[in-house]
Amino acid sequence: MEFRSRVEQDTVEVQLSGRLEFTDHDRLRDIVELLDGNGLRRFVLNLSALDFIDSAGLGMLLILQEEAEQRNIKLVVSGPRGDVKRSIDLAKINEIVTIEQ
Amino acid sequence: MDTIPSPLRPFCVVRDRVPADMTARVTARFDVNGFEPVPSDAAPPWADALLVERADRDCLREAFHRNPFLTVELGEGGDEPAALMEDWSGAPAVEPGFYLSLTTGTAYGLQCAVLVCDELARRGALSADHRANVEMCLHEAIANAIVHGNLGISSAAKNQPDGYRVFGQLLRDRLGDPAIKRRRIDIFCRWNATTIAIAVVDQGGGFDSGATSPASDGKARSGRGFVFMRALASRVAVTDGGRCTVLHFDV
Repeated sequence: MEFRSRVEQDTVEVQLSGRLEFTDHDRLRDIVELLDGNGLRRFVLNLSALDFIDSAGLGMLLILQEEAEQRNIKLVVSGPRGDVKRSIDLAKINEIVTIEQ
Repeated sequence: MDTIPSPLRPFCVVRDRVPADMTARVTARFDVNGFEPVPSDAAPPWADALLVERADRDCLREAFHRNPFLTVELGEGGDEPAALMEDWSGAPAVEPGFYLSLTTGTAYGLQCAVLVCDELARRGALSADHRANVEMCLHEAIANAIVHGNLGISSAAKNQPDGYRVFGQLLRDRLGDPAIKRRRIDIFCRWNATTIAIAVVDQGGGFDSGATSPASDGKARSGRGFVFMRALASRVAVTDGGRCTVLHFDV
């Protein structure tokens, strides 16, 4: 998985691309660090360029949700498509995390 | 002058190499009912095996294109006699089918499920319609075999404060242990007109398959792998004390 981030006012948008899977735990640490930006209120995970997510990757979304909550930051997952959307639906992640198409 | 050896080294295990007790054990492990075994004296070309040194994706694709039944990565510093003593040689040859044996160090990060599904498609076993389900289930089975099986890392590591950092450190530590990296992930595929069956075998400590939850707690950080497999595969069986997961897909 690769990612790039963009800051705009009180929002950070992180665009993930490639595959988010069990070998990506080290990158998760880097993304969590982005939550520590000053004055951050909203954290958008843009999945529109993500091709694949496995169960470990879904667990990482939940970890990010918890980390955001602890900092009183709103986390939004945006733009999942194809197999990624199917996996999110199958795991009912939308019951816990805000998903925006 | 020294010559550079070919990375692909053919040999035949079917003719004279597979011990009878190994064959009996793996027959019980994989339940090959419904698949025609290859007579041991027939030894057709596709039943030959290829040994691969320093396997990477391109090397494995090249090996697959020679249509071996067995493709086996040698362990680090391994040679052919040593490789034959390792616990990789898992399956009686079936036609059609193939068997891939990799070290954990190689399998981690190789996206094995993509590689295997590409090969199933190339051999005409897997259509585009079924690909997504097969690849997802196989990926989850392989991930479990690597992380929880051979690397011996429990999901419980994630369920503590800062658990993802602990989990990441455990991954790095275990992958840095040569003895653990050498443990094998074996993937055995066979198919017929109506079914694809794929077995994923590890060399870890096993687990109690009855303890896997039928449906994951929504907020749980782990445990969805088997949920996905049970939802997307036609049948899932766990044998060998949790070291072998067999996925069946009706096609």
